[in-house]
Amino acid sequence: MVTMSTFRRVDECVWEIPREHQADMRVPARIFASEPLLEAALGDKSVEQLINTACLPGVVRYALAMPDIHQGYGPPIGGVVAMSLKDGVLSPGAVGYDINCGVRLVRSSLAADQVRPLMADLVDAIYSRVPSGVGRGGDISLSRKEMDDLLERGSAWAVARGYGTQEDLQHTEENGQMEAARPSAVSRKAKERGTDQLGTLGAGNHFIELGEVKEVYDADVAGAFGLFPGQLVVWVHSGSRGLGHQVCDDYVQSLQSAVQKYSIKLPDRELVCAPFYSDEGQQYLAAMAGAANFAWANRQVLMVRVQRVLRELLAPRFGRFDLALVYDIAHNIAKVEEHVVDGKPMRVVVHRKGATRSLGPGRPELPEAYRAAGQPVLVPGDMGTGSYVLVGTSAAADKSFSSTCHGAGRVMSRHAVKRQVRGEDVQRSLELKGIFVRGPWKGLAEEAPDAYKDIDSVVDVVDRAGLARRVARVVPMGVIKG
Amino acid sequence: MVRPPAFEELDHTADLALLIRGATLPELFVNAARAMFAQMTDQEPGQPAVKRRVRVTGIDVESLLVAWLNELLFLSETKREVYSGFQIHSLSARELRATVKGGPSAELDLLIKSATFHNLTVEAGPEGFQATVVLDV
Repeated sequence: MVTMSTFRRVDECVWEIPREHQADMRVPARIFASEPLLEAALGDKSVEQLINTACLPGVVRYALAMPDIHQGYGPPIGGVVAMSLKDGVLSPGAVGYDINCGVRLVRSSLAADQVRPLMADLVDAIYSRVPSGVGRGGDISLSRKEMDDLLERGSAWAVARGYGTQEDLQHTEENGQMEAARPSAVSRKAKERGTDQLGTLGAGNHFIELGEVKEVYDADVAGAFGLFPGQLVVWVHSGSRGLGHQVCDDYVQSLQSAVQKYSIKLPDRELVCAPFYSDEGQQYLAAMAGAANFAWANRQVLMVRVQRVLRELLAPRFGRFDLALVYDIAHNIAKVEEHVVDGKPMRVVVHRKGATRSLGPGRPELPEAYRAAGQPVLVPGDMGTGSYVLVGTSAAADKSFSSTCHGAGRVMSRHAVKRQVRGEDVQRSLELKGIFVRGPWKGLAEEAPDAYKDIDSVVDVVDRAGLARRVARVVPMGVIKG
Repeated sequence: MVRPPAFEELDHTADLALLIRGATLPELFVNAARAMFAQMTDQEPGQPAVKRRVRVTGIDVESLLVAWLNELLFLSETKREVYSGFQIHSLSARELRATVKGGPSAELDLLIKSATFHNLTVEAGPEGFQATVVLDV
């Protein structure tokens, strides 16, 4: 059993469980956290799950967790684990069912105060015009050929069909397209599930939010990102929908026999995996990349839908205004990256499950407009409190495989929070704070602010640990949930 | 003697954890399906309008349970249906054949992404069978 005394504090916000703690650990486990957040992490099984990821074949340096750590299945949410390609594994469970669940931020040239009086109407319009896709499909139905094309091309597929611009691609992680994707690795069932889900929000913690930039901490970087105090901005948080879920399910099932074939001992069946260079591993990589591309295309279409609603409702009053993508990041994904291991550069596969890439200044992966500043890191919080924009750091490369937190992290189960709050009350109490929310009652209850950790403390940790730096804080004005 | 409930929800921070019971293994599988759809909708099952044949395979009874639930999720999502009648025709360690009955779904209360292998148990006891399964929501 893990307690506070199991940890060795290696830095102000870095806590380590040594490899010797458990016989099958191949590397130490590290958590980025304040002392209170670490104590909270001990309240569920997330630390045991982190230790399990330190047992995976080929894992290098440390199994990591971000301060928004909470119990998942397989690894904890907030987990980052990197394996060498040569003798390491790929694990669908370490990516998650919502492959490329991620978030994008759109900036406008409008002030939040200008649109605040219209917020109820804007939220209602977005809620009625952007399909949730829950229990029914969206209005875009893809043929088999279109689906295969989209799985290969991702956001570029959407832009080619009039959803957005080339500049959007440059402002998306991986330019919205992972080249490893192969449609043949994605099952017929996954494609069938995704057929009419493009441009749908999904449910759970997915949302669209209209927010105000409340505070700017770094004016130079905020300026580089096109952000200013009092600005109206838009968040879109969604993923690969049923297609991604099916891909994960397909491979978690099919890899159950692979672990026997490759004699891999697993502490948790959800950590099922295959050697990176095995046929099974390469098939999963190709399918995961396809699902990731679907998610990027999905967020591209969702964003354009929201942009169209806003232009239609606001242009008559305000004339022409900018609505441009700041950046789009993934927080459930596996990527092949080069990192320094034992003093030497090594290609590793980094699994981020509820964690965000964080690149510092000068990185060629970034669009030219951001190269001097670093990568925008987008961290959505809960409905009531707000979100953060941070910037990636060079230091994150060595400390965390260029990774940082992804959100607030849950503290209370959906079951427990539903016993405490009702969706109608959540909506009413948020409206009293001037935040308009539209969504199904049960979903609102489960996503109540009380169910989440305090985002300020999570972001404080990553800033102090040097994984990402605060740039701006955004507060919600209107929220649409699927 | 009061029988314990066929299924109940357990605490899990981010997802949905269920405890399922059944006097026999087929009854356990039926109750697992009922438990899952009970989370998805409060919709009262009317006269079943559709019947679907289901066949899934696995490497053991645990993976079969996950495959069964995920096949039902796949059908539910792609056909836009919910199911309330479950008849297991055959159930071995590696294969399940069943017929499910249901009808069109109205707006769902909960979107379930998948049944997972996390904390998955299927155990036999003196009172029958018991399973725990975590669903990603």
